[in-house]
This record gives sequence, structure tokens and C-alpha cells, in this order.
Amino acid sequence: MTSRPMDCPAPERPGDKIYFRKGVKTLAMKKNAGEKYSKEMLMDLYRTMVRVRAFEEHAAECFTKGMLAGNIHLSIGQEAAAAGAFAAIQPEDYFTSTHRGHGHAVARGMDPKLCMAELFGKKTGYCKGKGGSMHIADMKKANHLGANGIVGAGQLISAGSALASKIMGDKSVTVGCFGDSSTNEGSFHESLNMAATWKLPVVWFIENNCYGVSTEIHRVTNTPDLATRAAAYDVPFAVVDGSDATAVYEAMKTALDHARSGKGPYVVEAKVYRYQGHYCGDPAVYRPKEYMENALANDCIEKMGKRLSALGVTDAELEEIKQAAQQEMDEAVKFADESPYPDPAEVTDDMYTADNERCVAR
Amino acid sequence: MAFEVLMPQLGLTMEEGTVSQWIKHEGDTVKAGDVILEITTDKLTNEVASEHDGVLLKIVAQEGEDVPVKGLLAYIGQPGEAVGSASAPAAAPAAPAAEAAPAAAPAAAAAPVAAANGARVRISPLARKTAAKLGVNYAGIAGTGPSGRIVLKDILAAAEAQKNAPAPAAAAPASAPAPAAKAGGLELMEGDTVEKLTGMRKVVAQRMLQSHTEIPPVTQNIKVDVTALMKFRKTLLAETGEKYSVNDLVLKAVAKCLKTHPEILVSYDGDQVIHRAHVNIGMAVALDTGLIVPVIRDADKMSLSELARTAKDLATRAKENKLLPDEYKGSTITVSNLGMFGIETFTPIINQPDAAIVGVCAIQDELDMDEEGKLFKKQVMRLSVTLDHRLIDGAVLAKFQMDLRDLLEKPMSILL
Amino acid sequence: MKKISVSKAIREGLLEEMRRDDKMFIMGEDMAVMGNVFAITTGFLEEFGPNRVIDTPISEEGFMGMAVGAAMRGMHPVVELMYDDFVTECADPLLNQAAKLKYMSGGQCSIPLVLRMPMGSGRRNAGQHSQSLEGMICHFPGLKVVAPCSAADAKGLIKSAIRDPDPVVVFEHKLLYARKEEIPEDEDYLVPIGKASVKKEGRDLTIITWSREVNFSMEAAEKLAGEGIDVEVLDLRTLVPIDWEAIKASVSKTHNVLIVSEEVKRGSYASEVSAEISEELFDELDAPVERLCGLNIVSPFSPVLEDQNFPHPDDIVKAVKRVLNK
Repeated sequence: MTSRPMDCPAPERPGDKIYFRKGVKTLAMKKNAGEKYSKEMLMDLYRTMVRVRAFEEHAAECFTKGMLAGNIHLSIGQEAAAAGAFAAIQPEDYFTSTHRGHGHAVARGMDPKLCMAELFGKKTGYCKGKGGSMHIADMKKANHLGANGIVGAGQLISAGSALASKIMGDKSVTVGCFGDSSTNEGSFHESLNMAATWKLPVVWFIENNCYGVSTEIHRVTNTPDLATRAAAYDVPFAVVDGSDATAVYEAMKTALDHARSGKGPYVVEAKVYRYQGHYCGDPAVYRPKEYMENALANDCIEKMGKRLSALGVTDAELEEIKQAAQQEMDEAVKFADESPYPDPAEVTDDMYTADNERCVAR
Repeated sequence: MAFEVLMPQLGLTMEEGTVSQWIKHEGDTVKAGDVILEITTDKLTNEVASEHDGVLLKIVAQEGEDVPVKGLLAYIGQPGEAVGSASAPAAAPAAPAAEAAPAAAPAAAAAPVAAANGARVRISPLARKTAAKLGVNYAGIAGTGPSGRIVLKDILAAAEAQKNAPAPAAAAPASAPAPAAKAGGLELMEGDTVEKLTGMRKVVAQRMLQSHTEIPPVTQNIKVDVTALMKFRKTLLAETGEKYSVNDLVLKAVAKCLKTHPEILVSYDGDQVIHRAHVNIGMAVALDTGLIVPVIRDADKMSLSELARTAKDLATRAKENKLLPDEYKGSTITVSNLGMFGIETFTPIINQPDAAIVGVCAIQDELDMDEEGKLFKKQVMRLSVTLDHRLIDGAVLAKFQMDLRDLLEKPMSILL
Repeated sequence: MKKISVSKAIREGLLEEMRRDDKMFIMGEDMAVMGNVFAITTGFLEEFGPNRVIDTPISEEGFMGMAVGAAMRGMHPVVELMYDDFVTECADPLLNQAAKLKYMSGGQCSIPLVLRMPMGSGRRNAGQHSQSLEGMICHFPGLKVVAPCSAADAKGLIKSAIRDPDPVVVFEHKLLYARKEEIPEDEDYLVPIGKASVKKEGRDLTIITWSREVNFSMEAAEKLAGEGIDVEVLDLRTLVPIDWEAIKASVSKTHNVLIVSEEVKRGSYASEVSAEISEELFDELDAPVERLCGLNIVSPFSPVLEDQNFPHPDDIVKAVKRVLNK
């Protein structure tokens, strides 16, 4: 299961110590005696995580019921990463996302109704039903430059957006969110090199859930922490516990400040757990059972709930947040379900900005 | 590059052939030399072999279809290859030849020929559209494009010619049905079935009708005592080991007799008569599908055994459809034998351009009386000979018949 | 009118647009300090600075993808690949991103980028530096594609491409760069995208072509005129969107078509044009549409071999006669 191709010595398995390696100083390991964040902020993070999970669970239910076309890739288990990162990202900032990107959109404050409608392929979706789950975007209002079906494409687009910011001299930073396995694409290295050389205001946020579809990252990658690759380009980096929303927030805030101040890119790697298989319905038989045992022992929502309880938040208050999220996502599903499909006549629309009709005719 | 399979020219007079059967089918792999289809020409079924290795890509002419010589039958090429490419080494289709020069191409007049024979016409899309617009029947036009394709300028030239042509010919619209439609108009009755005539049957029908309508025939019967002849057959068998048929002996006698009766070996040709130099005896052979007349050339120069061998060979191959086209051409007289069927007399129809045909009838026993009034049995056979009265008179033929009778009654003289 | 080389004309077009449009920037290998291997951007770095004239590392996928990201933010990047053969190195950003993101986002963005790609045979550069990849690029919906031949068209089209809101790929034939031709003095003239040009009128046959083969076709047309064959030469200039009205008008007049390009014949854009004509103008045709292209081979190095791999004027003459059966 965990042996590497080419008969190389196998590293230790995920879920054990290689996953949180000794000697790597992670922000998660700085244990504070007392809680340094306000109740309001933790409540916000908690609410975001709960909303993301509710969205994903609703989407999964719709998928199982056959209401959605195609595939969906769920981020259940990774909610703290999205919540923490987007708590640090400012409204003027831009970002790109991935095929596992619903959480980013919800955490960014985008409308779950329009997200869900896009999953349904409805005209009311963010992309008018032309993108689907893997390609949600909200370029004008949320500065969301798009989830992308091509692994690694967001690295290039985020670096390019940062190049635009640099040329135009605006103060926005672009955050490229992507997964562990896309760090093995050439685009990672090509664009990080250029971004570093040109000191572009870009932050890369790696959610490392350890798996590229079925392949455990360390079977095919020789760097225990993926963010350390940034060192090759003299780019600072941090590795954090992705189940700790405030640790992610802290790392991302540091990174964004760095990039915004003109010092160039910054790479943050959050170690997260992907509860589901690669896509909704994938039983993930390729994973050792320890993976999920560790995952559930580190559930980000439960952990945050405990921290809030310690600050005096009642179970009822937490339950109220959950109920509100359920209701919000129920409505999102209802909206999506009741929305019309695109007019078939729109099929050729939006290929080109100018001269569309002639360009698609022949 | 796909190769075209074209209707072969088998014999000089062949103008068209009928696809009788496809041996290979679309998609079959063929090797050079493989028989891919059978065609019926004038009177024979011929096999057409592939000249190339490849796959039978497309059958263009269906079974039963008449196709002019050099007309397209099929394409052979590589699997998946497009057919009908201009680069195929195509011979021009059989559209009536090259006089499509601008001057006076009688397009409208020529049209029915090609249209009626059902061959695929190569024409460019623009030319077809223009032809419809101008009312030009393009089927008979010889195209000047690649591989004889009819192109725009051919249509324009034809339209011009039509305009200048005398009125009645001009107006045939392109879509008018071709005249001389071959289908009959008979009313069918219950249980009737309809079968398309084979090429051979059509030819037989046409030739018989032509002969019967053109020639004023007279059939004269003469009785021959063949008692000696039959004995002679036995003697020959005993002495040579060869078994000769009555027909062989009749053929030999006819050949010999004609040497002294050149007036029978003539052909009527308009305002002239052709005197034939060779004794070429056509020998009618009945087949399941019709009738064919292979020719024994210079029969008068053959020995009996040679003649018998030749006759047997031709008859066998005729029944196997293996005659070469020129083997059933060029007769100067014909012998038709219905004796084996017990026919007493008949009125054979002359096989043009011969001027006479010898009908051989059944051998029968007959009682006769000698000079002493004593009855005896003899064997007799009638020869029913039809003459072309345009050239031969009854008395002239009668002399030939008498000499022939004498020969057969004194069989040794046949061999002398 | 003034007489300048095609490369100078492209340079003028880029320079005028750089001065007009401060969202525009140029990136590619050897574009800034060196000013491009064909001297297209000499002096640009001094005038516009390193933020707008960017020397990239040899990372085609990287800088192409970054240009897409910048274009999504409203910038007007003009990217140069040193040879169109390298487009396979940046296939994803061009073909999966630039071409698709507008549609996939439901029209939320435009990708106003220009990709300049020197292309073509004849420089004895062998198989990885000599291709004509129009067919491959035109296959992808979302891109516009131009392939100018003359200096005037090169300048006018590059300016239109920069102003166009969609991604435009510009095929520039390397062997045209040094050709000196007359162009209008007027600084701000544009050649519209999607408009073909009748280079020579004729009655007997239409040669549809683009890029360097336009010049060869004109030479062929001249030879044919001496033999009484009157050929029309239609320079498409833009491949996507194709000027169908121009093709239709010409084919409806001459009824015979030869399409000439340097591409590998199989799967070429020439094939696409041929198929469109056969489908839509079938009844206008007096002969099959013929394509005269390169062979279905890798572009060879040796001049003796390479010369067989793209149509020369004499080849065009022969092909025209073949179509007309003369």
C-alpha cells in the first residue's frame, strides 16, 4: 500500500509521525496557555466551517439522489483550512481554487444558492451552468478567478494575477489555493520561480490531504513537507496544522502581509484530512484505516467547538449555528432545484466577447 | 488510391454487358486474379477478375444492371479509402465518344443512349445544377474534366448546341424519363412472377425477331435413308474405337457438300451479296438459359475425327459458359439438331447473317418395299433446311439437299 | 505610403499600441534586453521599463499561464513564443485556460491576450522549429487566429489583435520578416480581424491561402496568366473567424478551388476550409476542392528535402492545372 514505485525505501505511513514530523516547527505546535483569539472571531470561524460542511453534505445528498450531473469533489474534513485562510484574505484580494473548491467559495462569502445552482447545471448558477462544480467562479464581486479542472492551472493564474497587480500597482494579493499533488506539476516550479524573481504579491495555499486521487503523496514525492520546495526559490513558507483554523489564519495572515508589503510570494502548507474519497462515492479503499482514525480524532469543527465551550459558549448556541447552516443549505438546494436550466439556445453564447456568432459558426 | 473495375470489352461487337452475379461483396478482400463478378454479354456469361489486390470497396453496378463497355462496375482499394477519387486510373466511361466538341455535339440526341443504360454519370455538382437550370440532358455528354467528368463548360456547350439544333430535338428537359424504357406493360395475373431477361435471352430474342422479320424463309424437308449411315457408325466404332454421333456425320456431310455448293454460303447485305469463302458451321447448342451457336471454322478442311473433337469441345464449353467471344461469331451456315428430342420436322430460323440453316430431325424406323414387293425396315431421318429466299431459291437449295442426302446415304463418300 | 519590412511593421504596431494602452505589456524569451531575436522589440525596454517589457525564463507554460491570469485581471499581455513549435510547451494555459475560461465562467471574463508565434518552413531549422500549426490552434474554440502575409496587414492585424477582447493567436511567417513592402503612413490604421483580402481577381479558379503562401500563389497566378488561366487569389488573413462571405463570393464566381498552405496536410486548417466549401457550396463546384499542403511528415532539415515539404509557385501552377484539367 505505501511502498513507492522503483523499489525505493518506503517512508512511514501517513497518519503517523511523518505526517506531523518531529523537527519541523509548525505553528500548530505552539501551544498557548490561554486562548488568544476573541470569542467572536472563533465563532465566525466555527460558523464558516459548519456552513462549509453543511454545503458539502447537502451537495453529497443531492449527488446521491441523482440530482447532480457529473462528479463532485468534497472538502469535508478540510473546513478549517478554508475558514482560516479566508479569514485572513482581504476583500480586495483575488484567489483561485480547485476542483475541491466549494469550501473556498462558501468561506469567501459567496452565495451558497448560486454555488449550488452551478452544481445543478442551472442557469442561475455562478457560471450559468457552463462550469459546474469544478469551475465555480465569481470574478467581479468575490474576486474569485475560478476553480479549475486542471491541476496546477491556478498556480499560473494566481501568479499572473499578481503580475497584473504589480504592473498596475494595486495593493491586492492573489492567493492560489491548490492541493498537495499539484506541487508536482511543472507549473508550480515555473511560476513560483518567476513570482519570486519578480517579487509578485502572491500567496500559495497548499491544502495537503495526502492524496492525489488514490496516490499517497509520499509514495511519489521526496519532500516530506511540500512547502519546503519554496526554499529552492528563496521563498518563505510555513507548514501548519490544517485542522486548526486559527493556526491557518495566523500563517495566512503572515503570508499575506509579506506579499502585500512587496516582498514577493509566500507558501503556506496546511495538513488536512479528506474524509471522503477523491470524488463523492469513492470508497477510498486505498487508504489505511489509521488515516480516518487520525482524521476523526482531529475533526476541526469538534476541536473548535471545544475551544468555544472553554470560552463559555453553550451547546445550544453551537447547535443554533448548525441549524442555521442546515436551513441555509436547505434553501440553497431548493433554489437550485427550482431554478430553470439554461435555454438550449444559449449553448454557443459566451465563447467570444467580440464577434461571437461568426466565430462559432465555422 | 481506389481502382475502378470497369465493364470489359469481350469481343469486338460487344457494347454492353449485364451484371449477372457478384461473386465478391462489398468489404471482401480480393487478390489480383480473383473472380469478383460474372457478367452476361451477348450470349455468354463471363467472369471478371480483379486486376489489383485490395478490398472491394463499393459495388456501383447492381445485379441485373446493364453497363456499357468501360462503364464503372465497382471500386477496389484499401480499407476505409474514399472511392471515386479523381486520381483513379479511370478510363472514360462509355458515353458516346469524343465528338463533344463545341461545334454541334448532338447532346440531346445522344442522351437516351447513356441514360437508358443506367451507367453512373460523372458530373460536377455545378454542372448538374446548371444542366437542370438550362434543361440540358447531360447523360450522353462526353465530359472534358478529369476522368471524363462533365464540367460546367460541357453543359454550356451542350446548351448552345441544343439551342442551334432543329426544334424537336431541343426541348427534352433534363429530367424527362429516358425513352425506350425496357420494362413491359403487361398486366399480371395471380401467381405470375416477373423475371428480368438475362443478357443471353435478350440477345436471342432480338436476333430471332430480326431474322424472322427480315428474312422471307422457306423450309424444305427431305427424307434421308440413314440405314447405311447407322451401320457405318458401328463400323467406325469397331475399326477406330471412336464413337461418332449422327450429328458429327451430318456436320461432316454438310461441310463436304458445301464445297460443291458455294451458292448456299452467301450473306444478304443490303444491295449486295457476300460470297463466303469459308465453311464455318455454326452449331446450335441448347443451354438452360438460352441458346448459343459456337462456330466450327473451316469445317470442310477437317477430318471427321477432328471435326467431332471440335464439336464436342465447343458444345461442352458452351454448356460451361467457357466459350471465348470470338468462338460464337462468324458462322456461314448453321446446323441445328433436334433429333435427339424426337422432332420429326421443324422450321429452323436462320442464324443471320447465314442464308441457310440445316435442321436435323429424329431417326425413325420405316417400312419400305423392295422391287420384289417385299417389305423391309429402314431408318430414315429428315433434314429440314430453311433458306433465305432473298438470295436462294427453292430449287437451288433442293439440289444441295439432294446431294447432301446422297452423301449421307453412301456414308463412305463422306470420308472420301 | 512608406516602405518597411514586415518585422518593422509588426514592431510599429506593437510600439503604437504600447504607447496608447498602458494595460498592455510584452512578455517572452529575449524580448527586453535583447529586443527579440528578430529585433521586433528593440528599444522597448528603455521606453516602457521592465514591468511592461518582460524577459522571461525559458518557462513557456509558466509565462503563458501568467499572461492568462493577468489578462483575466484586465491587462493586455502580448506574449511571444520564439517558435510556434513551442506551443506544445504551453498547451494547457493556451488551450485549456485562455480558450475556455470565458465560456466556462459563463462569460464572466474576457481574456484579451495576444500570442505571437513565428512559424513556417524554409529556414532549414528542421522538425522542431519549422512547423505550421494553424490546424491545431484553429481546432480550439475560444481562440481567434490571424496569419498575415503583407507588412501592412501584419501591422494592422497586430493592432486589431491587441485591441480585441478575446485571445488572438498571430502566426507570423519567419521568412516574411525581412520582406520590405509599402504600408500606409497613417499611424492608427487597423486591419479588421475576420476580413479576407482579394489579392488578385480572376475568373477561372480561386486560390485560398494565407501567410507566405500568398506570395507564392501570386507568383503562380502570374505564370498562369501567361497561359491564359485567370486565377483569383484570396488571402484569408484571419483564419478564425473565417471570412465566409468572401469565400462564398469567390467560389460562386470561379467554381474551382485550390487551398494552399504550408501545413502538414492531414488534419490541416486547409482541410477544414475544404470541408466547409464542399458542404456548403457543393452546387457551386465544378471540380473537387484540392488542398496543396506540406507532406504528412516531420519537417526535414536538408534544403533538398525541406523544399519538397511546402508548396512552391510551380507546385501551385501544376495544382491549378490539375483542378482545371488543363
